[in-house]
Amino acid sequence: MNENKFMSAFKANAIWLVFIAEIAIFYYFNPKFLSLPNIVSISRQVSYYGIASIGMTFVILIAGIDLSIASIVVLVNVVCAHLMMNMGWNMWLAIIVSIAMATLIGVLNGFMVSTIGIPAIIATFASQTIFRGLSYILSGGLPIPDVLRYDPSAGLNGDPILGFFARWSLNHWDIFPRTGIGLIPVCAIIMVICFAVGSFILNKSYFGRYFYAIGGNEEASELSGIRVNKMKYLIYALSGFFAGLAGIVVLSRTGSAQASSLIGFEFEIITCVVLGGVSVAGGIGHMSGVIAGVLIIGSLKSGMVMANVSEYTQMVVQGLVLAVAVGFDCFSKKRQAS
Amino acid sequence: MYEIQEELKEYYSELDPKKRLEILNSFPENESVNFLHELYHSRYSDHDNKGRKNVDWWLWRCICLHQLYSKGGLFRRFRDKEVKRIISELYMEDSSHQAILYHEYRNLARRYLSTCKSANYASSFMGFKKADDNEKVIRACKDIWQMSKGAAWSAGVEDEMHLWIEAFHDEIEDYDSLCKEEYERLNSKIRRK
Repeated sequence: MNENKFMSAFKANAIWLVFIAEIAIFYYFNPKFLSLPNIVSISRQVSYYGIASIGMTFVILIAGIDLSIASIVVLVNVVCAHLMMNMGWNMWLAIIVSIAMATLIGVLNGFMVSTIGIPAIIATFASQTIFRGLSYILSGGLPIPDVLRYDPSAGLNGDPILGFFARWSLNHWDIFPRTGIGLIPVCAIIMVICFAVGSFILNKSYFGRYFYAIGGNEEASELSGIRVNKMKYLIYALSGFFAGLAGIVVLSRTGSAQASSLIGFEFEIITCVVLGGVSVAGGIGHMSGVIAGVLIIGSLKSGMVMANVSEYTQMVVQGLVLAVAVGFDCFSKKRQAS
Repeated sequence: MYEIQEELKEYYSELDPKKRLEILNSFPENESVNFLHELYHSRYSDHDNKGRKNVDWWLWRCICLHQLYSKGGLFRRFRDKEVKRIISELYMEDSSHQAILYHEYRNLARRYLSTCKSANYASSFMGFKKADDNEKVIRACKDIWQMSKGAAWSAGVEDEMHLWIEAFHDEIEDYDSLCKEEYERLNSKIRRK
């Protein structure tokens, strides 16, 4: 391998080297960082980051942004918990309805961006505010606790059909956080499956090529026959879908739904995606980089908690990471152009 | 080198598919014109049969080449296979109609370049930072290079794609004075490798 090929390979995999360096630093200061319980804990924590970041990757690839992700996750949390705990719905039905609702919110974002023509940052910021507010209204501003002790027989008012589904789903709620294949939690398996699907869409399907094409040159994509507006609907719907799935994973992990939770989560997701090499200018990025970005942010959070770094300092560090990641992307673009 | 008849010049300078068809239909039938019809239908037909109208299939394949340039590693085999498919679909192996193909490729490159002046092209930070004219030219040059020389180089098919590369190179050189230097800079990058 000559020097240039070595440099190309180094640049292509630099993000993974950053991840390894980060692990080494945290391990040096606290050997328990690489203990099995901590690895399992990190894998649980990164699972919802990973799932939500897949949709965000698609959106950023077309030079868009989705600031409503956190609100969708929270709304799914609240709606799913409300349906199960207050209305006695079957767990699976509640999950399906919640994810379908999240997907529809994505479609609404697509409508605002694509059909009305509102800039993505404004449209999704509006959605963020609307759906955060709806979460507060639905939950009355109070947490819906004890979802993990979900008893579907309560609140059914004797409905025989709902009662049947309720009995069927009894004790099924804790599948996500508590069980898994060996030591691998189910939520981490879901994340891996989602990444595999995301990677397949980007690399092997026509849709993936359309995403890159739209992000690279929207007008040329339109002329070549891509229905850009429909694609935008699809992409925002996918973003909503993955956010909804992440919401279910969060609910199963925390066991309670709270409208005031996950403030700033969308920026953490953007950090993961941009850190993973997806350009904010659109058209450039790979799912493998996003996986590394998610692992870096997950490990960083876990490492800082283990090092007793205060929550406020953690916010400062995460903000800095986002600024560095976006700054690096802009700098490299400028360098290429000059 | 690739001389064409005077009356065909209007056809090659036109970018709108409908107007091109009108011009094409006005030509008397002969072997070259029949080939032009064949190319026209190959270029503006929906090969995916998705019922789409106003498709420029060749432009889509240009965009695919642009994407394939950066594919490597695990996707190397997929890239090479796809590039070979595009070579066959876009008549790059045809040696008997070089002049016609050369001008058709230049028309295609010009159509791509016509999209590179839009307000959103080469913008960054989710479209908030618009690119200035020079940035757009440099980016357009890079795109053209990647979908011709770059893609051919990465898949190791420069000989098979020589006409395509030449047409795209000539078109970008005529596009802006900045492009010659930029194209050479991109070429030197792969020479170093």
